[in-house]
Amino acid sequence: MEKAEIRSRYLLGGLLVVAFAMPFAVGIMSEDIRYDRAWALDLTRVILNGGLQGGVYAMYAVGLTLIFGVMRIINVAHGEIVMVGAFLTYTFFTYLGWDPLLSMVVTLPIVFCLGIVIQKLLLNAVVGGPELTPLLITFGLGLSTIHIVEAIFTTDFRTIPYAQGAIAITERLALPRPRVISFLMAIAISVGVFLFLKLHRLGKAIRATAQNRDVAMVCGINIYRVYVVTYGLGAALAAAGGCLVSIQFGFNPETGVFYTLQAFAIIILGGRGHYIGALIGGFMLALLEGLVSFLVPRGTELVEVASYGLMVFVLLVRPQGLLGLKEG
Amino acid sequence: MTGDTNEIALDIQDLRKHFGAIRAVDGCSFKVPRGKISGLIGPNGSGKTTTFNLLTGVIPPDSGDVFYNGQNLTGLKPYQIFRLGISRTFQIVRIYREMTVFENLLSVSSLSMPEREARARAEELMEFVTLSKLRGEYGGNLSYGQQKLLEFARALMTDPDVILLDEPAAGVNRTLLNTLLDQIHRLQESGKTIIIVEHDMNVIMNHCEKIFVMDYGVKIAEGPPDEIKKNEQVLEAYFGRR
Amino acid sequence: MTGREHLRNLGALAAFALALALLPGMLTLYLRTFVMFTVLYVVLALSWNMISGYTGYVSFGHVAFYGIGSYACGILVADYRWHWIPSLFVGGLVALLVALAVGYPVLRLKGPYFAIAMLGTAESIRVIVTVWERLTHGGYGINFPNIENSFETYYAMLVLMVVTILVSYWVGHSRFGIRLNAIREDEVAAEALGVNTTLYKLAAFGLSAIFPAAGGGIQAYKVLRIEPPSEFFIQITIAMALFTMFGGKGTVIGPVIGAVILYTVQELTWVNFPTAHLIAYGIFIILVARFMPRGLMGFAIDMGWARKGMVH
Repeated sequence: MEKAEIRSRYLLGGLLVVAFAMPFAVGIMSEDIRYDRAWALDLTRVILNGGLQGGVYAMYAVGLTLIFGVMRIINVAHGEIVMVGAFLTYTFFTYLGWDPLLSMVVTLPIVFCLGIVIQKLLLNAVVGGPELTPLLITFGLGLSTIHIVEAIFTTDFRTIPYAQGAIAITERLALPRPRVISFLMAIAISVGVFLFLKLHRLGKAIRATAQNRDVAMVCGINIYRVYVVTYGLGAALAAAGGCLVSIQFGFNPETGVFYTLQAFAIIILGGRGHYIGALIGGFMLALLEGLVSFLVPRGTELVEVASYGLMVFVLLVRPQGLLGLKEG
Repeated sequence: MTGDTNEIALDIQDLRKHFGAIRAVDGCSFKVPRGKISGLIGPNGSGKTTTFNLLTGVIPPDSGDVFYNGQNLTGLKPYQIFRLGISRTFQIVRIYREMTVFENLLSVSSLSMPEREARARAEELMEFVTLSKLRGEYGGNLSYGQQKLLEFARALMTDPDVILLDEPAAGVNRTLLNTLLDQIHRLQESGKTIIIVEHDMNVIMNHCEKIFVMDYGVKIAEGPPDEIKKNEQVLEAYFGRR
Repeated sequence: MTGREHLRNLGALAAFALALALLPGMLTLYLRTFVMFTVLYVVLALSWNMISGYTGYVSFGHVAFYGIGSYACGILVADYRWHWIPSLFVGGLVALLVALAVGYPVLRLKGPYFAIAMLGTAESIRVIVTVWERLTHGGYGINFPNIENSFETYYAMLVLMVVTILVSYWVGHSRFGIRLNAIREDEVAAEALGVNTTLYKLAAFGLSAIFPAAGGGIQAYKVLRIEPPSEFFIQITIAMALFTMFGGKGTVIGPVIGAVILYTVQELTWVNFPTAHLIAYGIFIILVARFMPRGLMGFAIDMGWARKGMVH
């Protein structure tokens, strides 16, 4: 194995160790930590919540990793699709009384079709070209979407009161029920997509195109059809993420922006185009955010720096992330 | 270490480059004579282009050294090697498609050429390769043959000492090829050292004074064309065991 | 290009600058501010063009430099009572140093990765500015003492624009610019032919950071209030990219006309259609990126109204 490859793996591992140790180090230095049982319990709760959260993050991140992996397109509108998923769920819940999870059966196909249309009309023609073009196109999409939604729903935050309450694990440790449900749904969907990619012909075609477009073409794969399905699938997954997020947190038309950047941090960490990588990255980032939030003074504001900082450092140390393949 | 630097332009010692399990160049050594046209041949996958890339610093070797005029080139970056006087063309033409012919030539950078001189030299070279009328045309709009000529001219902008040509005959018609070969001989007569990687045996046998043959990442033979034509190992490499 | 053509171009620039210089007295406060902002966006677009238009490295976080300049002015003028003009130089210097420090590792990344890294950098800087309250007043923002300075800032911005145009002109008609283009076209070939790509990229990137910083500073002084969300607003980066692309990347006039036209259009739409404005803007961005990636100058070249290439 090439020396550079081994070295970059160790560097990435080291970076991650430092990244996870830092919140603890800062917490210790700022003397915020009480070394007692209650604190340990809090920490456990933070870690578990992080894990649960990771499941959902991972799910909308895999959508992005598919899009980026197959088409090298930076889908700046990804967070907006998540947001649209949340709002669709909200609409169905509030006006039709549909169960948020069940309404996914309708929401996801709608978004899937929208994704197909977007790819076909706008993006197919610019794949493989300079990256600025799809960057601007997806940004424009995101911007318009935010304001269309805003025109309909105003900037008020919405929530979906669903499955409230908590599930008790031990007598002093409880986890919010919506979060557990989201996590389980996320796992189910992720497994489903994973099987699709692994076993179904189209799934394999997607993976092949992500690895090497030219070879895929030569093998008879219609890459334009792959692109279209990929964007649709990525969008549907984002919408699913939005739906799962909608039952946990409040949201408004602008919350998508944060999700986009988070998703990028996740896929960079996990590796471009690598499905499992995105899952792992999602868990890691959620955990890191939870730790930063909990241990670092003013942590809730610094959470963003944690994500972006980690992303930038991963790009510098090992751009292909944990599991991705080297470009070129 | 390098001995007679006057006779030897490039002294390649035990170069190695592995890509994972693939041993592209596996202990390759040879000495390129100064002022002559040498050929580097070998079956597909023998490591010729990788060797060129190693020589010009485009990829770093795993081990081994390359000496030029007593200086060790390994570890230098491509632009540094270029500025020492070693220039090259590419297997697949790599001219700048959205820049004009004139700009393609002016883009070449060496530290000591003021703009006026560079412009004059560019004019000269465009004449040399008969592209003057197309000076304002985008590189991408030229025909393949014209692009090859442009790349050839571009490689000559700084009057390099050693010129590496990677498959100059590929995809080129007979007339253009003769023009190119003509120009290559003129360059050699003015004292330049030229190394050609080629698959076209006519070109190699009729125009090179010395030939190096590679197979599986190592040099398996060297000598003048007559000897190489009859060399058992070479024939085996190309045609397999009889 | 002959010496005469250069003189002609510089003459045109002088005329343009002179015309703008004579305007302010004749305009209302609103229009003065509007023209000043248009000029600001000319500076921003030209700067973005210096790195992204020529080398093709899409700096998707360029607003970071604008924000740095903004805050340099804000902090020095409001908290330390500096005169505002020296603060512009400090802002420019800080932006340059940040660009070199960040650029050195980040410019090694290819294509989309560089864009993402720049975005991450800009957002990180924004959050740091928000959290570092002791220095920057964080989310409270910085307020300047209230004075009428629309004339001073107008002229300052004009001077900045002239300087930026001159530098851009030099970049666009020199071998430096040709080599930046070569990096975009084929970085490996460029390096094999003597171009020290790292140095060139850093130089372009550093240069591209100074002018937005100065512009940010002038703008801050004019508007008299700054806060992190507005000074690091991602739409500023988008505007830089869009205006440049619309006018024509990698040219000198392109960003200028792109900025003038689009900023004006944007202002008119915003004033007249406040709600639909952003939806329309988003759609417009999509259409321009999809259907006119080479911009107005590209169209002009195709039509034969402008010559191909930068150096003749």
